[in-house]
Amino acid sequence: MNAFNPDRRRFLKLGAGITGASLVLGVNWSCTADAPDADSASPDGFMPNAWLRIDTQGFVTVIVAESEMGQGPYTALPMMVAEELEVEWRQVGVEHASLAPVYGRQVTGGSTSVSKAWTILRQAGAIARTMLLQAAAEGWQVPLDECRAERGKVVHPGSGREQSYGQLTAVAASLPMPDSVQLKRPSDYRIIGTPVPRLDSPQKINGSARFGIDTRLPGMRYATITHCPVFGGKAKNIDASRALDINGVLDVFSIEQGVVVVAKDTWTAFKGRAALDIEWESGDTQTLSNRSILDDLQKLKVEEGSAAAVWVGEPESALDGAALESRYSLPFQAHVPLEPINCTASFEAGKLRIWAPTQAPTRAYDAAQEVVQSKLTQAANKLKRKLFDAEDTSIEINTTLLGGGFGRRLKQDYVTEVAQIAERVDGPVQLIWTREEDLQHDFYHPLTLHEMRGALDSRGRPLAWHHTIKGTGARLGGADALPYDIPHIRVDLIDLDTPVPVGPWRSVQHHYNAFAVEHFFDELARAGGQDPLQLRLQMMSQAPRLRKTLEVAAEKAGWDYDSGLFGAAAHAGFGSYASEVVHLRPEGTRLKIAKVTCVVDCGIVVNPDIARAQLEGAIIFGLSAALKSSIEVEGGSVRQSNFHNYPILTMAETPPMEIVFIDSRESPGGIGEPGVPPLAPALANALMAASGRPVRELPLDFDHSGIRVA
Amino acid sequence: MPMKLTINKTAHQIEAAPDTPLLWVLRDELALTGTKYGCGIGVCGSCTVLVDGKPVRSCVTPISRLEGRRITTIEGVSEDNSHPVQRAWETLQVPQCGYCQSGQILTAIALLETDADPSDEAIDQAMSGVICRCGTYPRIRQAIKLAASSGRGEGEQT
Repeated sequence: MNAFNPDRRRFLKLGAGITGASLVLGVNWSCTADAPDADSASPDGFMPNAWLRIDTQGFVTVIVAESEMGQGPYTALPMMVAEELEVEWRQVGVEHASLAPVYGRQVTGGSTSVSKAWTILRQAGAIARTMLLQAAAEGWQVPLDECRAERGKVVHPGSGREQSYGQLTAVAASLPMPDSVQLKRPSDYRIIGTPVPRLDSPQKINGSARFGIDTRLPGMRYATITHCPVFGGKAKNIDASRALDINGVLDVFSIEQGVVVVAKDTWTAFKGRAALDIEWESGDTQTLSNRSILDDLQKLKVEEGSAAAVWVGEPESALDGAALESRYSLPFQAHVPLEPINCTASFEAGKLRIWAPTQAPTRAYDAAQEVVQSKLTQAANKLKRKLFDAEDTSIEINTTLLGGGFGRRLKQDYVTEVAQIAERVDGPVQLIWTREEDLQHDFYHPLTLHEMRGALDSRGRPLAWHHTIKGTGARLGGADALPYDIPHIRVDLIDLDTPVPVGPWRSVQHHYNAFAVEHFFDELARAGGQDPLQLRLQMMSQAPRLRKTLEVAAEKAGWDYDSGLFGAAAHAGFGSYASEVVHLRPEGTRLKIAKVTCVVDCGIVVNPDIARAQLEGAIIFGLSAALKSSIEVEGGSVRQSNFHNYPILTMAETPPMEIVFIDSRESPGGIGEPGVPPLAPALANALMAASGRPVRELPLDFDHSGIRVA
Repeated sequence: MPMKLTINKTAHQIEAAPDTPLLWVLRDELALTGTKYGCGIGVCGSCTVLVDGKPVRSCVTPISRLEGRRITTIEGVSEDNSHPVQRAWETLQVPQCGYCQSGQILTAIALLETDADPSDEAIDQAMSGVICRCGTYPRIRQAIKLAASSGRGEGEQT
């Protein structure tokens, strides 16, 4: 066992008042693996720290401060506590944390839920276990080291006595927190590393799971919003008369972001929105299009004398003369979580309560506070007095289940909107965007252009590399630390600010940069007459974990470069290492994907079944972007409006896949995003093996009969 | 004049206008929130319910067409997650975010009613209209096969 001195600040017992808040207000979601109902648990019990509570029946509720959007923190994090606490999985439930400071900044993103929690939640469980052991040992008057914790009980083998955790809660609650605790050795794990069932799945197969959109409050109104279709525009004239004539439409008003319709139900609000007659003031963004942005990006040059983002060796002299050049463009993409953007709020007696399907409760709080503060300031200025006693004004954020996030719900625009709407509406109100608003007012994955130059040595291996990333909100990650032994490297980043809102999208910059890096590597390998996979393996001396995933992927996939049907890509990111091999199968004049093989080293795998599901999902997410979807801006607005023209992959289009984890004792890395980046380049590399030509842009020419090779 | 709808074997008096899509009556009037809004134009399948056993997109089906019909929502599938399709979904841990799963499960139930042993092609045909952004398709396919085999008395081993 390893001794750990817990950082005491992270284990503060919640004060009485805060505990009350957590029990009464913060409990907006909880579920259990089995029959016990967490809500009926006795309020008596043992809460050794902010992360768990044990009731007098021995039922353990783990407090999770990461948002559940399908990626599994409501299961993986309780597993860490259960492991150290020595309880059976059926004794464990989960509850979302309140916004108490002890939980730190609550922002779920970057595939970090498991790695952030890895030490602290195991310690939290070990602290509780240690206190329960002390409680039993003191009661029995036996030495602590003669007692054992197992399966929700403390046992004393010498005398055959045992007490359940439930029986020990009262005594344990009176003990001080131990100064140090012992964490279990990985070889002793009984829960971590096993495919225990998700705590949220029973609710998700019978319709009882409550997503943000399912929030129902007494007297609640329903609101929807229409934003100016052209980015940056504003409503100039609003004729709401037809909307207000609809039976059930209660109000129409403008807020900064758009025009709001409030109604007795969602359908009536949508009808009211459709009946609005709005004259928009579009400004000068009406000429903006994908074409105009690409033209602008092409014209941009690295400023003379400015420092490159990455400069290794002597790239300019090495590239001089004999450079191979290539260029790729990747389009804007939308997130389209299946749960449309929504948020519920009530603003009563100076208290703003919000129910948000958000990846970032902390940012939701900030967004709501900004609305409240600006109202207070305006009101104070206007009336020369305070309308509210600032100390009475409070904001409550209730984090619900999320019907998908993929980065979209890191942005809190909908919280800002609902807070403004709640100020205008008597009683609770739910804001729901139509799917059309979601597609046309997303924070898109940026459009990027990648200009590549490379040179080979006399043996046909990459000698020099120059990657210029140009994009609308582009970043360097995934392009700056190449896993290959290339002596001369230069990477430049040129960013263009446009009115198209951009934001993080599953795997963020790793998606486009991995495409450029891994596809261009294959172009260089082909130019040098090399098998690109073998060449990668030869040049990955500094990337042993990534190399291993590629080696295993090649073996599992039955790599055969000469067949012209295989492509591979490898990429490290989010603390993990992933390689994918795409195997094509000709069908008529087209190509279909016969199989995707995915091998990942993400360190210790906390729940292998959830991790596997994340990779299945990542491959499908990557395929949607590579084969089917793109966002096109034209006339300053987005052309796509719903799933008919922003299609995502269907079941029939989903290829067989094989997923393998590298056995590892390293601390856990991320798992939600690492499966996305290698997919598109592996597919492009397979297509280049088949056709001899690189893929210049995504998405590919694809329909039900397969991929058309140009 | 209020309409009468039979939902999950219970008769309901409905206040909403006859042109209101069933989806919003379920969600906003009856608080049966298991049926989900995804697209509003009948292309994503999240809002699927069964009408006389057949899958129907509730977001584009006005209630005026449903009087006298038998409507089943996810809440009416079983009392205790015991329907073979739900059991298969739990065994294979299909849901990720879970938002589309009501539509997936009801579509799968309707498929198995008409084809007790569906081929891969039949599963593709029946299920490809219900999209999942998390990418649970491989497990949905397996779960339908598992439910089919349990329906044939072959147990739940795969």
